[in-house]
Amino acid sequence: MPFLHERLPNGLDVVAETSEAAVSTSVGFFVMTGARDERPGIEGVSHFLEHMVFKGPPGLSAEEINRSFDRIGAAANAFTSEEDTVYHACVLPRYQADAVELLARMMRPELRADDFDLEKKVILEEIRMYDDQPPFGADDRCRAAYFGKHPLAASVLGTIESIEALDVEAMRDYYRRRYAPGTMVLVASGAVDFAALVESAHRLCSDWEPQPLTARGQPDQPRAAALPGVERIVRPAAALEYAVRLTPGPGENDSDRWAAGLLAVVLGDGSGSRLYWSLVDPGLAEQATLGHQDFLDAGLFVTQLSCEADEVDELLARISDTYTEAIRGGIPAAEFEQARNKVAGRVVLAGERPRRRLFDVGLEWAHFRRFRSVADTLQIVESLTLDDIHRVLAAWPLDAPSATVLAGPAEEAGSGSRASALPRGEA
Amino acid sequence: MKQQLFSTTLDNGLTILGETMPGVESAAVAFHVPAGSIHDPPGRCGLATLAGEMCLRGAGGRTSRGIVEALEGVGVQWGHAVSTTHTSFSGAMVARQLPAVLPVYADILRQPTLPAEEFEGAREMVLQNLAGIEDDPAHRTLAALRMMHLPNPWGRPTEGVTADVESMTIDDVCGFVAGRMRPAEMIVAIAGRIDWDDFVRQIDALFGDWQGSGATPVPAGLRGPHVGHVPHDSQQTHIALAWSLPPYRSDDSAIAGAVVSMLGGGASSRLFTEVRERRGLCYGVSAGYQTQRDFAAGICHAGTTAARAQETLDVILAELDRLPGSIEADELERVKARVTSGLVMQQESTGARVGSMARQWYHLGRIRSIDEELTRYDQLDVPTIEQWLATQPPRDLTVVSLGCDPLEVPGAIPA
Repeated sequence: MPFLHERLPNGLDVVAETSEAAVSTSVGFFVMTGARDERPGIEGVSHFLEHMVFKGPPGLSAEEINRSFDRIGAAANAFTSEEDTVYHACVLPRYQADAVELLARMMRPELRADDFDLEKKVILEEIRMYDDQPPFGADDRCRAAYFGKHPLAASVLGTIESIEALDVEAMRDYYRRRYAPGTMVLVASGAVDFAALVESAHRLCSDWEPQPLTARGQPDQPRAAALPGVERIVRPAAALEYAVRLTPGPGENDSDRWAAGLLAVVLGDGSGSRLYWSLVDPGLAEQATLGHQDFLDAGLFVTQLSCEADEVDELLARISDTYTEAIRGGIPAAEFEQARNKVAGRVVLAGERPRRRLFDVGLEWAHFRRFRSVADTLQIVESLTLDDIHRVLAAWPLDAPSATVLAGPAEEAGSGSRASALPRGEA
Repeated sequence: MKQQLFSTTLDNGLTILGETMPGVESAAVAFHVPAGSIHDPPGRCGLATLAGEMCLRGAGGRTSRGIVEALEGVGVQWGHAVSTTHTSFSGAMVARQLPAVLPVYADILRQPTLPAEEFEGAREMVLQNLAGIEDDPAHRTLAALRMMHLPNPWGRPTEGVTADVESMTIDDVCGFVAGRMRPAEMIVAIAGRIDWDDFVRQIDALFGDWQGSGATPVPAGLRGPHVGHVPHDSQQTHIALAWSLPPYRSDDSAIAGAVVSMLGGGASSRLFTEVRERRGLCYGVSAGYQTQRDFAAGICHAGTTAARAQETLDVILAELDRLPGSIEADELERVKARVTSGLVMQQESTGARVGSMARQWYHLGRIRSIDEELTRYDQLDVPTIEQWLATQPPRDLTVVSLGCDPLEVPGAIPA
């Protein structure tokens, strides 16, 4: 699968991974901005702006954009995270130029005040929708507790209060600073006509003015300091208790991120892992998983548990014991190899989908200015050793004090439990 | 495009479907047994789900752990699902692993040991899942809608009912597996980098000597009330509506599918435009077409702050009411473009092709090529759709709300 790259004079990178087997073309603009780039007072602006981009540039309405995407049968959408805002469309190859033109025009939105007021209602509905669902805000609250003053403490959606208080001028200012050609990438995957893609980019994007590169939201401390403790969000009507627990892990800039991902599969994958056999298989928990999440300069191990409220302290303690046992006793070779084969299988299957490759190729370029093929990834996974896993286990102790947030009907921790013995964090 | 599609039926009634996709390294396979929630006995809602879980907890010479290790150890992404009509076991993998993996699935289906010591764990797992669903407002709303709109037992939840699952025994599971897991009307579908003849030989060797007669048809009973409310302590009120449509195997199903898509299928659909883009009432609002073999429904769903729920319902009802006589050529063209993209892009996913082929065989008794399916939509024009809508406008709606307070449903048949 050839990789192609070209840079426009204004700094906009155009990259593509082409595939002969593909019957679709995926294109996207990857903007290197997200919740961590928001100053106090504009929390949630990156995600709100992502919605506003679909309201159109001067002379193009939201309804016209929606019709234009549907007219070419595009599967078009966008997402915002802590570090990225991504706009993407997947079309039949004959519509490549139409999809690129539409997305490129959208990248210069007018940010009209009446659209802003209307869309604010939709954002507030989105916040309420998530607040009604498990884990009932425990994930955002736990990241805030864990990261403290680090910019990654920010919630992507923002809060009802921050969104209600946001005004359109603040969004326009944020947009001008963050949507510059030097911090954006035009990415394509699948059946790509690269010459036509570059031609489109020149025609549609070369008048985008470069901006002085502003530093991304930087941490106040070099590495986030975990604030150990347990907080509770009380939801009397919830059927189950939901727990989120964060401990430090390698970041995206650390070559141990791959071993960390594999370790999470061994200990806490959705099936066939240690947590699965000890908690989910016997029906003690609805969910008990460990995942590894990485950011530019920080990483997390994320433990998620859902179970009956009166079991939560006991089961969190059992999860800690599972981690301690792995740290002390190590991982047997057979268990390691099963997990590595599982991850390798996922890499191959995901690599077959051009729509999925768009995100892998685009985020890798946006974060590191480099290309990693499916074969490269497979090679990395297959070369991992048991030593790598044991090194991660030792360097990032999963049973160390953590930030933990519980959401559900429980109002107080059960007596004598170890989780409640930890110091309580700021509520 | 020229697809390589295959089908054959063994003497015992098991049908094998296949598509070779030379552009991929993977293969996806699925085994569908006609043992769904409609086959749950009265008072045993969720038995198919529990039985499927038990089949995974020991089969042939393998333990529960042995089964998972045999699949995940060679990188299989496996799944187990129970629908209204079928129990399914599936897997996606690098194609060269198939010969090692197929015997594991054969054991799960033919030789489950149903160990008594695994029963409590399996039942607790099903109960945990049911408790989790209690916290999912959208799922609960749509489950309540299906329960009211569809004839019994088609509307019953595949995941089960807590009180029923609590009363089940290992004997219930053994009885269900003995009575329902059989080759007649079973579908095995595969897509990817495969050799069709080899695959048929393997399936024949693994399943050819399995005997067991077909399931007796399940009669459709009474449906529920037309209007309902589920009390739930939440900020948002969820709204779901259903009305009857011709099933997939009907000649008119492409018309019905197109109408539902115009109503709530894409970003330029009527509901998205009127409810979200023009009024900002919702984050999510959509409509979809859901079919069984003998009946189908159009289903709309939206979630919004309680204070704006009545307005949201009123706008959705007005859009349903406005459909006949208002179809525009441009919106039909957009539906065709979306359908075309979706069908062509199935070619990039072995899992999507397996699902599509198995559904078509169940509904039609044959596989429709992607080209044939495309033609059904290409032939549609505005007069044909208007003619159909004139005789079959959305009516006899079922409306469910979930939230703090019930909504006014104008002109509704009282519950």
